Amino acid sequence: MPETAAIEVKGLKVHFASRSRAGPVRAVDGVDLTIPHGAFHGIVGESGCGKTTLARTIVGLQKETEGTVLIAGRDRGEWLRSDRKSFSRKVQFVFQDPLGSMSRRQTISQTLEEPLQIHRLGSSAERRKRVAELLDLVALPQTVLDRLPRSLSGGQRQRVSIARALALKPSILVCDEPLSALDVSIRAQIVNLFTSLQRQLGLTIVIVAHDLAIVREVCSEVTVMYLGRIAEAGATRPLFREPAHPYSQALLSAVPSPDPRVESGRRRILLAGDPPSPSNPPSGCRFHTRCAVALDVCRVDQPVLRAAPHGGLAACHLADERHRPIVEARNS
Amino acid sequence: MSAALANMRKWPWPVLSPVIVFVLVGIFAPLIMRYDPGAQDYEATLEGMSWAHWLGTDYLGRDVFSRIVGGARISLVAMSIVLVAALAIGVTIGSFAGYVGGRVELVLISIIDIALALPSLVIALALIGILGTGYWSMITALTLAWWANYARMSRAVVTAELQQPYIEAARVMGASHLWIFVRHILPHVLALVVVYASADAGALVLAIATLSFLGLGVAPPTPEWGQMLVDGMSYIEEYPRLVILPGLALTLVVVSFNLLGEAFALQKVPRPVKGSALRGRRQARIHEEEERSAVERSGWPA
Amino acid sequence: MAGMTEAQPVYSVEDLVIDLYTPTVSVRAVDGVSFGVRARETLAIVGESGSGKTVSTLGPLGLLPEGVGVDISGTAQADGKNLVGMDSARLSALRGSYFGVIFQDPISALNPMLKVGPQLAEQARRFAGLSRREARKEAVSLLARSGIPDPEDRYHRYPHEMSGGMLQRVMIALALASRPKVLIADEPTTALDATVQAQILDLIRHIQRDNNIAVILITHDIGAVAAVADRVVVLYAGQIAEEGSVLDVLTGPVHPYTRGLLASVPDFRADERAATREIPGLPPNQTTLEPGCRFAERCGFVEPQCRVHRPPLATIAATGVPHRVACPVVVRREGIAVNA
Repeated sequence: MPETAAIEVKGLKVHFASRSRAGPVRAVDGVDLTIPHGAFHGIVGESGCGKTTLARTIVGLQKETEGTVLIAGRDRGEWLRSDRKSFSRKVQFVFQDPLGSMSRRQTISQTLEEPLQIHRLGSSAERRKRVAELLDLVALPQTVLDRLPRSLSGGQRQRVSIARALALKPSILVCDEPLSALDVSIRAQIVNLFTSLQRQLGLTIVIVAHDLAIVREVCSEVTVMYLGRIAEAGATRPLFREPAHPYSQALLSAVPSPDPRVESGRRRILLAGDPPSPSNPPSGCRFHTRCAVALDVCRVDQPVLRAAPHGGLAACHLADERHRPIVEARNS
Repeated sequence: MSAALANMRKWPWPVLSPVIVFVLVGIFAPLIMRYDPGAQDYEATLEGMSWAHWLGTDYLGRDVFSRIVGGARISLVAMSIVLVAALAIGVTIGSFAGYVGGRVELVLISIIDIALALPSLVIALALIGILGTGYWSMITALTLAWWANYARMSRAVVTAELQQPYIEAARVMGASHLWIFVRHILPHVLALVVVYASADAGALVLAIATLSFLGLGVAPPTPEWGQMLVDGMSYIEEYPRLVILPGLALTLVVVSFNLLGEAFALQKVPRPVKGSALRGRRQARIHEEEERSAVERSGWPA
Repeated sequence: MAGMTEAQPVYSVEDLVIDLYTPTVSVRAVDGVSFGVRARETLAIVGESGSGKTVSTLGPLGLLPEGVGVDISGTAQADGKNLVGMDSARLSALRGSYFGVIFQDPISALNPMLKVGPQLAEQARRFAGLSRREARKEAVSLLARSGIPDPEDRYHRYPHEMSGGMLQRVMIALALASRPKVLIADEPTTALDATVQAQILDLIRHIQRDNNIAVILITHDIGAVAAVADRVVVLYAGQIAEEGSVLDVLTGPVHPYTRGLLASVPDFRADERAATREIPGLPPNQTTLEPGCRFAERCGFVEPQCRVHRPPLATIAATGVPHRVACPVVVRREGIAVNA
């Protein structure tokens, strides 16, 4: 039986209308992505690359302008229209801001019970039992039940929002920068929590992240986005070891090591200038304006994702066989 | 809600008491009245205070005390009907506008703004002109004059709350729009509206009295304070109590409601206030810190 | 780096204690901190929220947010004068001429109503004593030196017309306009994208080299410390946990907090899959001053004395730059030699 992917995105475009002179904001502009069951998938990129929009579109918080999103083989839009509740039992979302994503007037107990109440799962006593289980799952003490969100720390709130997302026993969890709002040493706690949850519950986790070091630690696969399109994708370690796309190379090079010996010794790639605006992307390959190795063809032709040496895909003309002679000529 | 009940000792009793008295008197009026407020007794007109008539009688021999009590009931009932109706209409329209958004919202906002453009009393007068006088046309006119403000407030609250991320979180959990509205948004709407309504009740009682004073509201012989005022005006020099007593009752009730509304607002909306409020919040902050430490300490490995 | 330890610090604080208070609560944000920085040296002050890293650096300069009462004791020496206890006028003048500050949020440092160039020129005129024409040229030159392309054009732009990375550079230019001796960067890279962060860090490195100034970098990003700093001070709950050269502290941390902090930061380039270890518990509540080591609650090495006596900073053997640690327990257990 062929394995249907957990998430399959085809030709996705999400454009926001804009009142300014420039065209619509092309937050996501042609993305094809396949995430298998049980994967821990990271989506990385800088501001304006569309990763958050992509994540929100996958779970239905955002409507696509074009393209399809399939969850476990079923069209997401149609699923939401016909049976919203069963969709939410399959796919859940963890927001970036744990405080904002919870009602400030509800206690933790009420917040955690809410999804169960919405879906009318179990009796009142059974729901309370499940809430207690959820707290155990995210390693929170039972004493938080009667607290309000504001009296919890950032890390605790994020655990609560993860617990809430797991209340309905989803098989897919999409997280939008769940670590950004947390202190450095707390991030490690939450990251370890994600890893152990995935092991325990067999979840498919998609995590939109900023911190490449953490992505490298926990994600089995990664997608690098630039200006609404995928620049590179593949298994994390091989990709990070040998990035094929010049943007990925620069991005990875930008991450400093905590080891000063490594830092002073390594060669850094510095990009010129700032990322262009998503409402007015450059022609051809979107990265060509900042790319140190851009060829003429890069200005004209938008590259498609093709096989990269690390076993994944890269959208770069330099990875194309046909341009190999030019690249070699340049490098010599 | 349970928190509010638990804090009963902190309620603004000095302000709450007149209001409660008003409500109780209004409810139990038939039991408190000693005479039928409309009963005329030509033998005993314009009498002073006595054991028979605690507050005397008016120019038709009607017992003033019973009329005051009866007036309380009329005011209470009329005010309640108008308030409930105006709230129902206002909150519904306003919430709907805020939730649905788009062109529907724009249309409804325009209607609300038009309704708000004129003072409530002027609108009420105009409507009474159309509907005619009498108890029910007064109620209708006042309701139609009063709903717009609640609609405006509801819409504002709904719009603001909808932008909060936790609403999206609820959608992701599979909540229907109705669930979100009732569970998350309506409490905010009601919180704001209740505050306003508690002060508004006073204004409403005054409006009823005004309309009756002008002869456009409650018709005689039904007792009503505004009407008692207009009745007593002719006798103001020799028998001022005919004006003073209903006037006092009216003033007391209206002012109490106003103060009540303010007290609600102050407690629900934290503002820098000297004295006990500050101490209270400092205690709350320390308590919060302690709670947080307690949470951290329990359940963590050493 | 030889000979650096003999040079006089351009800015130094000693036994700094800073209390912050509001009508409801009071916090000892900085509890006996001393550090110094020399010309051509970058000192990183590292800690998480609540560690006191920002307060200890910006506090003596009078740059803490309004609305909070501040009580400072100790000394902060700059240009031969003590900043603590100085009246606000003199402090402001000294601050403008001697220090340049880069804030986390560039928007807050610039006047949104004025064009960028004139703001730089004004700063140069006021504190570097340049004439109007000289100041304008200096402003353009600063923009160029801060890595802003097309500086002549950018001179005439408003802050809202620029991107985050660009604004950060403008703020760096602004900080340099007064020709300061000390550049203080308060989390300069936190709000920026990774590639822009790299650019800014690189810029700071260049600036230091070209201008002979001292740099204080306040951050929680260990990577930035490794990339840019020469020395580092690790703060926890207002106290110094460890300090020393970046090489010593980051490759051979001694204090349990430093070790925990570094272990919780995954190394991007390390090959072995070291599991990201977490520090259990949460930063302490600083409204209640408990005796002893502030880290005791979360420490794996804690002993009874730790909760009673505040551990003193001991100098352990190190090459060149003194490496100090406030944890006698680890020092004793691991047999680390201590210099008197």
